Amino acid sequence: MANTLILARSQFALTALFHILWPVLTIGLSLFLVVNEMLWIRRRDPDYYRHARFWSKLFILNFGVGVASGVPLEFEFGTNWAPFSAAMGDFFGNILGFEGAMAFMLEAGFLGIMLFGWKRVAPKIHLFASCMVALGASLSAFWIMVANSWMQTPAGGVMQRGRFAVTSYTQAMFNPAALWGVGHMWFACLETSLLVIGALSAWYIYKQRNLAFFLKSLKIAIAAAVLVAPLQIFLGDGSGRVVFQQQPAKGAAVEGHWRTNPPGTGASWALVAWPDKARQRNDWAISIPGVLSLLATHSFTGQVAGLKAFPPADQPPSLPLLFYAFRLMVAIGFYVLALMLWSLWLWYRGELTTDRVGRHRRWLIAWISALPLGYLAVESGWIVREVGRQPWIVNGLMRTAAGVSVLPPGTVLASFIGYALLYTLLLTAFLVFARRILRKGPDVTAEPPPLKPTAPLQVNAPVPHAFEED
Amino acid sequence: MEQVIGLLANIWFVLLGVILALYVVLDGFTLGVGMLTLFSPTEERRGILMGTLGSVWDANETWLVLLGGALFGAFPTAYALLLHALYIPVIIMLFGMILRAAAFEFREHSETKRFWNLAFAIASLVTALAQGVALGSVLQGIPSVNGAYTGGVFDWFRPFPLVVAVGVVCGYALLGAVYLILRTEGVIQTRARSGAYWLAGLTFAVAVAVTVWTPFIYPQVATKWFSLPDFFLILPLPVAGFAAFLLLLRALTRGHEAAPFVWTVVIFVASFGGLAVSLHPYLVPPSLTLIQAAASPATLIFMLTGIGMLLPVMMIYNGYQYLVFRGKVTVPGYHH
Repeated sequence: MANTLILARSQFALTALFHILWPVLTIGLSLFLVVNEMLWIRRRDPDYYRHARFWSKLFILNFGVGVASGVPLEFEFGTNWAPFSAAMGDFFGNILGFEGAMAFMLEAGFLGIMLFGWKRVAPKIHLFASCMVALGASLSAFWIMVANSWMQTPAGGVMQRGRFAVTSYTQAMFNPAALWGVGHMWFACLETSLLVIGALSAWYIYKQRNLAFFLKSLKIAIAAAVLVAPLQIFLGDGSGRVVFQQQPAKGAAVEGHWRTNPPGTGASWALVAWPDKARQRNDWAISIPGVLSLLATHSFTGQVAGLKAFPPADQPPSLPLLFYAFRLMVAIGFYVLALMLWSLWLWYRGELTTDRVGRHRRWLIAWISALPLGYLAVESGWIVREVGRQPWIVNGLMRTAAGVSVLPPGTVLASFIGYALLYTLLLTAFLVFARRILRKGPDVTAEPPPLKPTAPLQVNAPVPHAFEED
Repeated sequence: MEQVIGLLANIWFVLLGVILALYVVLDGFTLGVGMLTLFSPTEERRGILMGTLGSVWDANETWLVLLGGALFGAFPTAYALLLHALYIPVIIMLFGMILRAAAFEFREHSETKRFWNLAFAIASLVTALAQGVALGSVLQGIPSVNGAYTGGVFDWFRPFPLVVAVGVVCGYALLGAVYLILRTEGVIQTRARSGAYWLAGLTFAVAVAVTVWTPFIYPQVATKWFSLPDFFLILPLPVAGFAAFLLLLRALTRGHEAAPFVWTVVIFVASFGGLAVSLHPYLVPPSLTLIQAAASPATLIFMLTGIGMLLPVMMIYNGYQYLVFRGKVTVPGYHH
C-alpha cells in the first residue's frame, strides 16, 4: 500500500502540474481576445481584429492540450482516490459538477463559434461567444479553487459515519481559504498570460517584425500587468496569512520555522535555509529577525507556531521543496513588479513609440525572458499549496493515506508511465507547432468582416481610426 | 425523509441518464467518424470527415466531463466504486481521449499528417472499446461491500464485457456513418450510406446477443423482465428499438439524409431506456442501489437548483452552435 500511495500521489502531481500549464493561458488569453475584439468594434482598427485572429491560433493549440490533459483529472479522484471520493463527494464532487455545468460546458458550447464562426455570425454575436468562452474559462478557475480551498480549510459540514455531510453551502463554498485562493489563482492566470503576450510581442519587436502591430499588444499587456502585478502580491500576502491562521503546520513548514516565538518577541524569517525534518531543525539558515511575524500576522511580535509544536506525523514532507518553491514564487512576483515599473517608466518617458521602442534592447530582452516566469510561479505555488497540505488530503478530516484506492502498485505504475509518455508527446508537439505559428507570424493584411455602419457601438467611438488609415 | 431521498435520487438518476444519453449520441458520432477516418482513401476526404467535427467535438466530449462531475456530486459512492473497479478500462479510455484531442488539433498544423491521422483513428477506436468494456462490466456486476470495491483489476477482461465493447464500437461507427450522411455529399455520403447498412446489421446482431445473454449472467434482470407489471413497462422499449431499426433500413434505402440519424438516435435512446429500467433501483449492480449511493438531500437539492436548471440552457446554446455550423461540409479542414 505504501508504494501505491506514493505512486498515486506522483501520478496526481504529474497530471495536475502538467494540466495547470494550459488553463492559465486559456483564462488570460481568452480575456485578451475579448479586449481585442472590443477594441476592433469600437475603434474600427482592423489591426485589433488581426490580433484576435493571430492570438486565437495559439489559443486553440493551447486549449486543445488543456482539454486533453484536463479530462483525466475529472476521473482521477475516483480511479486513484476512491475512499476520498466516497467520503468527501457530498461537497467536493458536487463542486466539480458545478464546474462542469457552469464552466466547461459554457466554454465548449461557444468555442466553435469563437474560433470558426467569424464569417457565420455577426460581429456582435461573435463577441458574445468570445465573452462566454472567457467567462467559462474564468468560472472554471473559480469552482476548482473553491473545491481545492475546501480541502485546505474544510467548513460548512460535519463528518457522519466517515462521510462529510454539508450543513451550510455558504460556509463550505466560502471557506476561509476560498476567496483569497480564487483571487490569487485568477490573477496568476492573468499575470502568466500577460507575460506570454508581452514576451512574444517583445520578441517580434526585437526582431523588427511587424513592430507597430506588436507594439499595440505589448502596450495592452503592460497596461494590464502594471495593475495585476502589485495586486497579485497583495493577494499572495492575504493567502499566506490565511495559511498561518488555518494551517499553521503548513505555514511553519514553508518558512522553515521550528520554534514558536515566545510572547513579546518576533519570529525571525529565514531568507535561505535547509530545513531537515529528520533532525527537526534547519541545518543552516540566514535569518532576518522579526520579519516572519510581520509577514504572517502584520505585527512585529505576532506569535507564529513553529513546526515543533506539531508531532512529526502531522508535519508536511519535503520541507526543502516547500521552502524553495515558495521563495521562487515570491521572487518572481517581485521581479515582475520591477519589470512593470521599468515598462511604465519607459512609457511615461514617451519611449514606447514605433520609432523608439526598438532601441531599448535590454528592456525587450527582459520582457522576452519573462515568458516562462508566470508558469514557474504557478507550478511553485501549487507545489506549496498541495505538498504543504500533506499529510492530509482534507486538512484535519482525512489523511492522504486513508484516501487512496487499493490497487496493485504495478497497475498504478503502468498508468503513471502512460501519462508521462503521452504528456511528453503533447508538450513536444505543442512546442513544435507553437513555434511554427509564431515564426509564421500574423496575417497583417487579413480583411475583417464588415461592421455595420449604423452599429450603435460606433456612436461613442472616440476617434474613427479607420478613416485615418485609409 | 426516506421518501424525499428516494425522490431526489430518482430525479438525479433520470438527469444523469439524460446527460449520459447526450454524451453517448454526441461523442458517439464523433468517435464513430474518428474510426471511419481509418477508411478514408485520400487526405482530402479525411479532411472533410474531420471538418464535420471541427466546431463541435470539444462540446461533445464535455458532456462526459459534466457526467463525471454530476455523478461525483449526486452519487459519490457510485463514482468512487465504478472508477476504482474499472481502473484499467477508464485509464485506457482517458489515454484514448487525450490522444484523440491532441491528434485532432496537431494534425491541422502538421505537414506529415500520417502519424496524427492514425493516432486520431486508433484513439477513437480505443476510446470506444474502453467505454464498451466499462458498460459491459457494469452489466456484468461490480462486487462491493459498503460501496468499496472487492473485485480485482482484471475483472473486466471476460467474454461478456468484450462482446459489449464490440457492440459499442459498431454502434458508434453507425452513428458516425449516419452523421456523415447528414453532413456530407457525393462519394463520401454514398460510402457512408453503404457502410451504415453493414454497421446497422452488426450493431443489431450484437444488441440481440447481449440482450439474450444479460439475464443469464445477471439473474435480477431476468426476474424483472419477466414479472408483471414490469414486463409491460419494459416491452415498449425493445419494440421501439426494433421498429427504429427497420425504419433506419428503410430510410437508408430511400436515400433520406436526416432520417437515418434520427432513427439511429431512437435505437440508442430505446437501448438506454431499456438499460436504465433494467438496472433500477440499482445504480451499480449487483449490490449498490440509488439510495445507498446518493449524496445528502441538501447536496441533491443544491445541485438540482444549479446543474439541473442549467441543463436546458446548456442544451439550447449547444443546439445554437450546431445551428450556426449546419449544412454540408465540402472543404477539408477546420481552421478557416
